[in-house]
This record gives sequence, structure tokens and C-alpha cells, in this order.
Amino acid sequence: MLMTSLKTRVQAINPAIWIFTPTLENYRSVFQKRDLLLYIKNSAIVVVTTTAISIFLGTLAAYGFARFHFSRKEDIAFWILSLRMLPPMAVVIPFFLLGRFLGLLDTHILLAIVYLSFNIPFTIWMMRGFIEEIPQEIEEAALIDGCSRLRVLTKIVFPLTLPGIAATAIFCVIQSWNEFALAFFLTSFNARTVPTTVTFFLSVMGIIWGEMAAVGVVASIPVLAFAFVVQKYLVRGLTFGAIKS
Amino acid sequence: MRKRKKREAYAFVLPSLATLVAIVIFPTIFLWYVSLTNYDLSMGWEQKSFVGLRNYFFLFLEDKDFWYSLRITLFFAAVTVGLEFVLGLGVALLFHRHIWGKRVWMSCLILPMVITPTIISLIWKLMLNTEYGVLNFILSQFGLGKINWLGPKEAFWSLILVDVWEWTPFIALILYAGLQALPQEPYEAAVVDGANPRQIFFYLTLPLLKPMILIALLLRSIDALKMFDVVYGLTQGGPGNATELMSLHIYRLGFRHTNWIGRASANAVILLFLSTLLTTVLLRTLRRERLGGA
Repeated sequence: MLMTSLKTRVQAINPAIWIFTPTLENYRSVFQKRDLLLYIKNSAIVVVTTTAISIFLGTLAAYGFARFHFSRKEDIAFWILSLRMLPPMAVVIPFFLLGRFLGLLDTHILLAIVYLSFNIPFTIWMMRGFIEEIPQEIEEAALIDGCSRLRVLTKIVFPLTLPGIAATAIFCVIQSWNEFALAFFLTSFNARTVPTTVTFFLSVMGIIWGEMAAVGVVASIPVLAFAFVVQKYLVRGLTFGAIKS
Repeated sequence: MRKRKKREAYAFVLPSLATLVAIVIFPTIFLWYVSLTNYDLSMGWEQKSFVGLRNYFFLFLEDKDFWYSLRITLFFAAVTVGLEFVLGLGVALLFHRHIWGKRVWMSCLILPMVITPTIISLIWKLMLNTEYGVLNFILSQFGLGKINWLGPKEAFWSLILVDVWEWTPFIALILYAGLQALPQEPYEAAVVDGANPRQIFFYLTLPLLKPMILIALLLRSIDALKMFDVVYGLTQGGPGNATELMSLHIYRLGFRHTNWIGRASANAVILLFLSTLLTTVLLRTLRRERLGGA
């Protein structure tokens, strides 16, 4: 892909060419003619919003699940986890219709809210695991010393789980950045995200392979960079904190 | 004191819970409702009428493509998950030994899983192209004929190929983590008792690994059921409806040609039902693991 993106039109359709003078023409073209920068900006807005809300709400809930006992706690926790598995095509129709009624189609905020449906469950389960790993005694000691719950959260829990929060946030970013089905139906131009640009390349293939590959490279760089940061937590992330390795 | 503590717990949990109910439960109920109407995108919302279960009857009795999509979705899930399991287990066992350059291999494994799925479908579309793709180019170097990878008969198997490429690492990483966490004592005992490597693998490693295997396979099956993005990028369900998995059938019913939102909703409810079934099994397994102290 990287190679194709650096080739000219004629070279791109010939797989036998392995050595050639690289050109940045395709990159210039996707940014200038295809508004790639706009889509990157859209993706970034949606991803940052949804991740920030998820981490805030999800971490609070995770703390609730990790430190308190209440009736049917596990039932609720597992019900939340089940939401993470919803097929996007099963929920996109009501989101689409409701978005239309509310006049929210093709807005960043709609997509960011919809993405909460998988990011919040994920955050709760990941963070619950991380919080349960800190010994409860530290918090109890602080509470006895007259610390308020809020202070315990900001001064003890938050700093101690910071690596966990960072890893969880990165996973949310990757998931949201890569999401296609929901973005495809709920946006058209203003809030269009990077993965949906694939639709530009579905029909008029042959001529623009180079551009296609350039989009691919640009879209992949951020997620790859992030993925290597969280490599250590990967198995944990893939299984929603169920398997800690 | 206890009461107060309980109230405090709800203060932490409720904001998330309320959000999820609002953005998932409410739309799901709405979906059920729409699935009982004849709404389609070309009419005004007020013009729709209640049609009972007629959309479901349509799918079950008249829509041959629905049955086809159900069949290939299940078949797709079974084949991909089966292949990914065998290959993934192989890779995990290989990693479990001390092989050269493990860290580099590990990093390579992560790539297919985290690259944007639609981008993956583009990469494969380039490689699978009949005239100019790398795959046929390599075949021709060996004097073999060209394969029409995305043709009517071949497209479904190409899809399986891509999915196996993308997700085998997932199974491999989970099982590898599982292998690393296995206790040492049973192995020492087995060796003392004179068990051969085959016996050790089948009577010790596999049973000990069973919960991990179950979790990995269930997660993959659910994902296979949900599959939309890669198929859309690669074939859009075509040629014809050769690769029209259930998600793509919903898309065709509801958005692409016919705008029959009511019927598409009915199909979505069925998909939701299938995935809920698998999810329930998965959650039971996870729950047992959690209580078992894993």
C-alpha cells in the first residue's frame, strides 16, 4: 500500500515495478481534491468528544462497580458489557430515523453520542479491572483520615490508574476512528469521517489506485502509532478486560 | 451507613447507566416498533401504517435472499472462526516456544487487527484485482493462470481469506496470553508420569486453555455475525448477492435499492436476536471465569 501510494498512475497498475522514483503526487491530490483534511478533522472531533465523555462517565461507573456492593450489580455490569456486542447494522436504522427527526444527521455530535454506545461499556469494563488492582486499603485509610470521596478519587484513584486510563482512552480512540457502518449512514459531508472515504474508490477503481493507497496510509498512521503504545494491554483490550495478561 | 453507601454507589453508576438506556434501549424499542410498520424512506413519517408481523412474514416466506444471507452468514462465521482457531492456535504454540525475533513478529500480528477495516478492504481490493493485482502477478510468475478473485463464485472465499488474514492474530494473541498464564506444576507431573507431547497437548494444554478458547471463539463469532465494513469495501455484497451477509441484506432492503425501512428493521431485529443469543453464551462463560478467579 505504501508503495502504491508513492507511484504514479501508470506505475501503480503494474505490480512488477518494485523500484521506482517515489512521488508525492497522490498525497497532494487527496488533500487538495478530495478534502481529506476535512474528513480527518471530522474524525478527530468525533473521536475526541466521544472518548472524553466515555472516559469521564465510564471511569466513575467503573469505580462504582469496583468499590461498592449493590443489588444485582453483576447483572447490570454484564448487561452493560453485552451492549458492546451490538451489531451496528441492527441499531443504525433507529439512529438514522431519530437523527432525521431531530435534524441531527450529518453532525459530529450525533456520531459522538452514538459511539458512546460501545465506548462507555468498554471503558467501564477496562477501568473496573484497573481500579480493582489498586489495594482498597489506601482509599480506606484516606477516608478514615477524613478525606472526602471526591478527594479520594482525584488524589488517589485517578493518579494510580492513570496508565490504565490512558490505555483505555487509546482503545476508545482506535475503535471510534475505525468505525465505518454507523458513520456511513449517519453522515454525508459535513461530519463525514475518514473510513467512509472508501466509498470514493468503489466504482472508478483503475485510474486512482495511487490516491486510494495514499488515503489508506494517512488513515492508518495514527491508529498504528496508538496501537504500539498500548501493545502491552492489547489482549486485555481485545477481551474488554476479561483476560488480564 | 449501609444505605448511604448504596446511594453513593448509584451516584457513580447512574450517569453511565442512564446514558446507555437513552442511547441503546430507547432506539432498540423504536426499532421493534418500526419493524411492525410499512414505513419506507420515500413516504412521510405520518403516512406509514401498522402492519403487524407482515414484514417478518415477508422475510420468512417470500424473500429468498434473506434465507440466502442467513445461510452464508452462518457459514461464513463457521468457516472463518474454524480456520482462525486452527491457525491461531498454531501461531500461539509457536510463540510459546522461544522463537527468534518474537517481539517483531508480535508487532506484525497487531497490524491487521488495528488498521481501519475499510482500508483493509481497499488494500485487498488492490491485491485481488484480476488484471493488475499482486496475487495474480505472483501466480503468473509460477506460470499459473489468473484467478478472478472477486468473481461470483470466488468472492465469498476471498472474503474468508481476508477475514482469516485480519483476525487470526486476534485468536493467536489471546491463546498465547492463555498459554503464558498456564500453571507449571501439571506439566512437571505429566512429564514425571511419562506422558508424551501429544498426550500433554490433548489432555493437559487444551483442557486448561478451554475457557480462553471459548471466549476467543465466541468473540469472533459475534464479530462475524456483525460483519459489514470489510464486505462493503470489498464487494458491497456482490457480485449479484454472492457475498450479501445479513448486515448487507439489511442495507440493501433499507437504504440501497428499495428504502423499505420497515422490512429492513424486521431483518435487523432478527440479526439482533442472533447476536444476543451468542452474546448470552459469551457472557455466561465470562461470568464463570470471573467467579472462578481468572
